Formats: sequence, C-alpha cells, structure tokens
Amino acid sequence: MKKYLKTAKKRHWLLIIILLSTSFYLPFHYFGVYPFATKINLPEDAIRELTSDIYLPDYYESTSSYQGALPELTEEQRLLEENAFKNWDGGKCRFCHTIKSDDRDRMAPNLNRIFGKPAGVSKNFTYSKALIQQRESGLIWTPETMDGFISNPEGYIPGNRMRVDGIEDAETRQLIINHLLRESK
Amino acid sequence: MNDNKLKTLSSITSWILFLLFLVVLVNIGEAPTMPTESPERLLLRNFHIAMGSLLFLCSFFRAALWLILPPQNNNSKLPDASYAQVHVLQFSLYCAFIAQGISGILNAWWDGLIQFVPGVDTMNHGLWVTVGYLHSAFSFFYISLILFILLFRIYHMIRYQVFSLNIFA
Repeated sequence: MKKYLKTAKKRHWLLIIILLSTSFYLPFHYFGVYPFATKINLPEDAIRELTSDIYLPDYYESTSSYQGALPELTEEQRLLEENAFKNWDGGKCRFCHTIKSDDRDRMAPNLNRIFGKPAGVSKNFTYSKALIQQRESGLIWTPETMDGFISNPEGYIPGNRMRVDGIEDAETRQLIINHLLRESK
Repeated sequence: MNDNKLKTLSSITSWILFLLFLVVLVNIGEAPTMPTESPERLLLRNFHIAMGSLLFLCSFFRAALWLILPPQNNNSKLPDASYAQVHVLQFSLYCAFIAQGISGILNAWWDGLIQFVPGVDTMNHGLWVTVGYLHSAFSFFYISLILFILLFRIYHMIRYQVFSLNIFA
C-alpha cells in the first residue's frame, strides 16, 4: 500500500475529483432531476388566489363538458389510455409521475386533479425557474395547455426540467389527457 | 493466509465482481422499458436490489483485500506512475461500487422496499429523492471510471506495448 501511495501522483487523484464532480452534475443535466425535494411550493390560500379571478370549469365533475366528451370506457379504451400514460412506447409519464390521490410522489409531481391548477404548485418537488415564472405569468393546466406542453415540453416552456421528447402523435396525447381526466375523479 | 492465496482470492473476487456488474448492467438497461407497476418490472427491481447488494458486499471485500495486498506492477515496460494511474482508477471503481451500494440500500430503505426493523415506517420522500440522486451520480461516476480505465489501457498498449484490458484489478 505504501509503495502504491508513493507512486500515485496528485494528477491521478485530480482526475478522480474531476470525474466525481462531473458525475454529480450529470443526473441533473441528463434527467432534469434535482437532489432536494421542496415540501410545499405554495400554500393552499396562495394557490386559490392564483385562480380566483379566472373562470375554470370543474374538469372532473361528471356533468362537465370535458367528462362528457370522453369516449365510452370499454376495456379496450381503458387499456389504450393506461398504456399511453404508462408504457415506454407511449408517453412514459408513469415512470416519474403518479396520478391517484393516495399515490406516493415519485421523481416528478403527482398529477391528481392537475387540470385547473396553476403551474408549479405541487408538493414535494423542486420546480425549475422556468416553471415558477410560468406560474407567476398565470399558466394554468388545462387539457389544452397540457396538450401543448407534452407535444413539445422544451418548446412550450423553455428551460423546464421535464427532459423527455415531445409526443408527436396527437392521438397518444389525447389518450393521456383522457387518462388524467378519468383517473383523478 | 499467504500472499499467493490472497492473490488467488483477489483474482476470484474480481471475476465475480465483473460478472455481477454485467448482470446489474443488463438489468438497469432492461428495467426502465417495463411499465412501472408490471410484475416483470417488480421482479427486475427485486433482482436489482439482490444483485446490487451482492455487488456491494463483493466490492467491500475486494477493497479490503486490496488494502492488505495491493496489486503490484510486475511489468517492467510499464512505468510506476502509469501503473499507479490505472490502479487509482480501479481502486476508485471499487469505492464507487461501495458508495453505490450504500446509496442504493438507503434508497430502497427510504422507499419502504426493504425493512431492517419490521413494522417501522421508514418511508421518507425527501431523503429518497436525495439518495436517489446520489445513486444516479455514482452510476455516472463508475461509468466514467470504466471508460478512463479502458482509455489508459489502450494508451499503454500503444505507448508501452503492455497489453491488458482488465477493468477490475
């Protein structure tokens, strides 16, 4: 061991330090993940205030036009919607997001009753500056804004940390939105 | 235990480590393509925890053997400084596996996947996020170490005609 330590030069250890430091940055760079979760981004009162002046339908009420427009839920349709949300060749959303109210948070915010909520307000997630700016500029998640966002996340909100390719297929996007509308009820 | 026996034991451990690493590498390549709650994914996740824990224990054992009997430069063509360069990387690789193992076990613990004390709720989202990030960072670290070990091995082949592609010492 002594001989080994004698022959190891400072530059050898320097390379290790450089590799280690770079490695600590790479999960953020490639996956957009952040090492700390912010428990609460905005208190409930402040969230309500952001939407108090805007008329928003209850997207989850069974009598709403959004629920009315959903296709009949056959087994085939349910599988299509679920797979679009979950699968690798669909939206891959479930890899980071949960959707049920009692689901645990994962690496990205829970999407329960996401429609009608301002951007960047969910618990247990540290948002990018880009998304916080969007919240301050009044972005509200609706089926229409969600469709725009998932079709091209980086183009829709430059600098956000959802580093996935946009979903080009409009039908897949609609299936994902249907799934979000149904599963949050 | 004499030096020859230690050397054989070190060599066997290194081969076991290499094989375990290959198994875990295939596992981490395959698992993300499976739907999150599918039985196949759960099976791969449990397999990952089992193989990762073995990799961690073997790395710990190999690093301990290294401290007792560090590999020696037996090749007269390779200067000591160049030899040390690769061996600093190789020793760091074992350390990376140990760090990877610790962060992985903590990650599974704070996710409630493994329990050391039955009935105690150990789930903690904040800590899970932090160690999950570290687990990912150490993955990038060992991948970069392996790449640099290979690069130095190729450089030594060209410059000193010392032929070896050993990643794990």
